[in-house]
Amino acid sequence: MKKNYDVVIIGGGVQGLSLAYNLARGGLHSVAVLDKCYPGSGASGRNGEMIRSAFGSREWIRLFDRSLQMWETLSRDLDFNVMFTRCGYLVLASTAEEFSLCQTNIKRQNEFSLRCRLVDATAVTDLIPALNPRLVFGGIFQKNGGIARHDAVVWAYARAARRLKVDILPATGAVDVMVESGKIAGVKTTQGDIETRILVNAAGAHAKQVADMAGVELPLEIFRLEMIVTEPLKPFLPVALSAPHIMGYMHQTARGEFAGGAEPENLSPYTGLKSTREATQDMARKFVLLFPGMYSAKLMRQWAGVVSKTPDRGPLLGVVEEVEGFLLNAGWGGYGFMGSPAGGKLMAELIINGKAPAEIRPFSLTRFATGDLITEPTIIGLAEDSAKQKAWK
Amino acid sequence: MPKKMVCYCQDLTEDDLIRAIEEGYDHIETLKRFTGAFMGPCQGKMCAVNLLKLFAHKTGRCIEELRVPTMRPPVEPIPLGWLATENAREKDEEEL
Repeated sequence: MKKNYDVVIIGGGVQGLSLAYNLARGGLHSVAVLDKCYPGSGASGRNGEMIRSAFGSREWIRLFDRSLQMWETLSRDLDFNVMFTRCGYLVLASTAEEFSLCQTNIKRQNEFSLRCRLVDATAVTDLIPALNPRLVFGGIFQKNGGIARHDAVVWAYARAARRLKVDILPATGAVDVMVESGKIAGVKTTQGDIETRILVNAAGAHAKQVADMAGVELPLEIFRLEMIVTEPLKPFLPVALSAPHIMGYMHQTARGEFAGGAEPENLSPYTGLKSTREATQDMARKFVLLFPGMYSAKLMRQWAGVVSKTPDRGPLLGVVEEVEGFLLNAGWGGYGFMGSPAGGKLMAELIINGKAPAEIRPFSLTRFATGDLITEPTIIGLAEDSAKQKAWK
Repeated sequence: MPKKMVCYCQDLTEDDLIRAIEEGYDHIETLKRFTGAFMGPCQGKMCAVNLLKLFAHKTGRCIEELRVPTMRPPVEPIPLGWLATENAREKDEEEL
């Protein structure tokens, strides 16, 4: 650890590491990434590993399609096999109502020439015969969506950043942010003070706490998700699948394990990392309903992860106007993993050029002051949040 | 020379694990994630002691001081159907 850096990033998750790598590639080598545990110990190593750009709003499509294009060459760019598999991504519609939402979204996706198509029940059943036909009405299939190995992405960015002289500091937690006359002056850590004029908050679930240290209030709350993984099964799920009807998302790993998560209808206020019986049973019931053949599949392990979410579920990207030199790359909800190639690249462009690229401009913190919220129709569970959204306007 | 198996679920030999540690996966959590040890059907029940011993030896630490990866439920893999049915029964009872 040096005494000062040009840029300090709080949070050694996939977003913070991607940003550090992209800054170094852009010529800024005096960069440090702090993590209070070890890189990738948070949501970056606990997520569902799924990647798509098939969203329903222009803002989300622009941002995530940029990311999806970068996934295509990521292993080569980082000189590390991140196991990106372009297996396709299916958003399943289980009812006529869900299918009509797909019909609306496909129009927007076609505007951007995404490789998406509307599929009917027969096509879905041909693709995944194991699905319960009662829950198959149709869907949207994105041909170039897929999955990647989450831990490998963390290691890939970390190694590539280190090769470009970035300091990655594990077991180094931020304790306080030093602000002098409205400008970032440095950060106090558990391992000592660091001077810097540019500080990036990429602290995932803890981003609100980090912003508090700088006296900035962020519209974030902790959002907790649980996932399960089964013993290896014969191949039956050839694509990344999201099933809004059960608020679930799932894929089969290269080892054959079924890995998936589902949001319960009633979110508990608990924000810890222990698994809960309620969530296990909720997921078991939903996955057995969706795939009757999984009745006898053995649950092998279960875990939880925490992320931050904003009232409109879009990330917070860009500068904080009240504190010069303080930037945000946070609030990605469950989408920080798939958004990491573009998130880091675009934030690095902002830091290097001083100008926010078009893809991230709509995601600034100021949208919550001006009320220019982004309506992304494909987000699960957003309707329940709409009351809170009004409170922030 | 015969192979020394450490993790039966993921087919990991002593050499595989030593190579992983030398490549920089020298935190027990990153070693676990990189190799898949502790994460197979036995969930560490067969490999944990040997693996921790090997890890302590290789990284020059004392086995008592090592952090042990969190044990995740269930203790034994169980069919999803058992969990799904129990839940369904509870729900039915609530509705009655």
